[in-house]
Amino acid sequence: MIVENILEVQQMSKTYRKSNFTLGQISFSLPYGAILGFVGENGAGKTTTIGCILNTVVKDSGTVKLFGREMLDSDTEIREKIGVVYDGDNFPDFFTAKQLSRVMKGLYKQWDDALFQKYLEDFHLPVKQKFKYYSKGMTMKLAIAAALSHHPQLLILDEATSGLDPVMRDEMLDVFLEFVQEEDHSILLSSHITGDLEKVADYITLIHDGRLIMTVSKNDLTYHYGVMRCRESQFLALDPGDILAYRKRDFQTDVLVSDKKEAERKYKGAVVDPVSIDEMMLLFVKGERV
Amino acid sequence: MRGLLKNNFYIVISNIKVFSAVMVLLGIFVVLMDNAIPSLIIGYMLLAMVGFSLNSIASVRREGAGKWSKYKLTTPVKRADIVKSLFFSQVLWLVVGAAFAGICAALSIALHGYPFDRDTDIFMLFVVGIGTSLFMGAIFFPLLFLGGEERNEVFLVISLLCGIGSIMGLTTLINRFFPGGMTTAQIVLGGMGILFCGILTFAVSCPLTIGVFRKKEY
Repeated sequence: MIVENILEVQQMSKTYRKSNFTLGQISFSLPYGAILGFVGENGAGKTTTIGCILNTVVKDSGTVKLFGREMLDSDTEIREKIGVVYDGDNFPDFFTAKQLSRVMKGLYKQWDDALFQKYLEDFHLPVKQKFKYYSKGMTMKLAIAAALSHHPQLLILDEATSGLDPVMRDEMLDVFLEFVQEEDHSILLSSHITGDLEKVADYITLIHDGRLIMTVSKNDLTYHYGVMRCRESQFLALDPGDILAYRKRDFQTDVLVSDKKEAERKYKGAVVDPVSIDEMMLLFVKGERV
Repeated sequence: MRGLLKNNFYIVISNIKVFSAVMVLLGIFVVLMDNAIPSLIIGYMLLAMVGFSLNSIASVRREGAGKWSKYKLTTPVKRADIVKSLFFSQVLWLVVGAAFAGICAALSIALHGYPFDRDTDIFMLFVVGIGTSLFMGAIFFPLLFLGGEERNEVFLVISLLCGIGSIMGLTTLINRFFPGGMTTAQIVLGGMGILFCGILTFAVSCPLTIGVFRKKEY
């Protein structure tokens, strides 16, 4: 059996009774060799989704398949193939890189100490210094180095670039792009820095208020999707079937369409601009749907 | 498991270094002092055994501060192994504590003679120290994962008190069976009974804690 997707999430849901937050019926998949950008506002459910994928959170229903099968607690060989980076303090702040390496060597069969040392050197991270003396950027680079040093096939990054300055972010994005050069490697990159996703992602999955809004390939988004800038009368004349989402501004209404060429042809004189991930997110989150 | 044990070691080691230094200084003091009144040596032995165990379990809080507890679940280890490693680490530090207690007691006896009334008293001191530590750990770990790392301090106090209470309760129970005093054999048997109860509670607590930890979300 050929498995095309490294990760498949089907109808996954999770409810937190105390906060009344529900992650509802999430479905998406990540093919081999691709980067999927997972976007949504703070509290949209990105971290909960990642928690359910990694079994740090117990899902209520649905299925999550990693490498073609559901990962149970006992499936340690699947976790050998996954590298994870969370935002913030991934490791105890009283550890040094040397100690971390020893611990990781005991956890991962494939831990590559030489590769870890190389990353430490490349990222200019001091080996003997305790992590509490690292800057936020350094701790994130350390976490990325650790996630890559056991030769994973799937990287799951939860806001991994959020603490980095633009130069470091660019550096890390290059590392991610190099990682997916191998055709059996993939990355699930959760971020609200949409500029990063525009640079590296092949697919974008948008989540809002615990609901999956859409998954779209970045090529589709770039070449087909668009935002129509409509006056009131133009907006009223639109076919509701063409409207994915709209947002009323002072003197115009922005309308997200899935085929900008078709929209330009159908609505003569309409101004249709390319859409960025940021704008798409704003239209879905702050706008309305028909 | 090896990685988890190393992790537990690095988490506890800075506290243990300080505690060990204090225990070495105290040990020198206890050994040099005349042991005609054995309260110093009794206090030292109990402090060593319970203190090392207490340090071991108290340090678990340190990894709860960041995302490390959550991160560990994404590594190729089973949840059961994480719990087992904590129990195993506590036993290892209890052995270290017992070694401190044994060395200090042996040196004191070698220098000043045997200070206790009965031959069994030294054995009973080990029973009390080891028993208290085992009961303490058995109560602490399930509470920790049930109530959360942020309540670590109160669980530590509760489990220590429960540990001491369990030993006192068992001792009282045994004494009630022998109102007219106990023979040496009966004392040894009673001590073994207390140790057995401690080990059994500790052994039962491990799968119980695993069950609690399986439902723990991060």
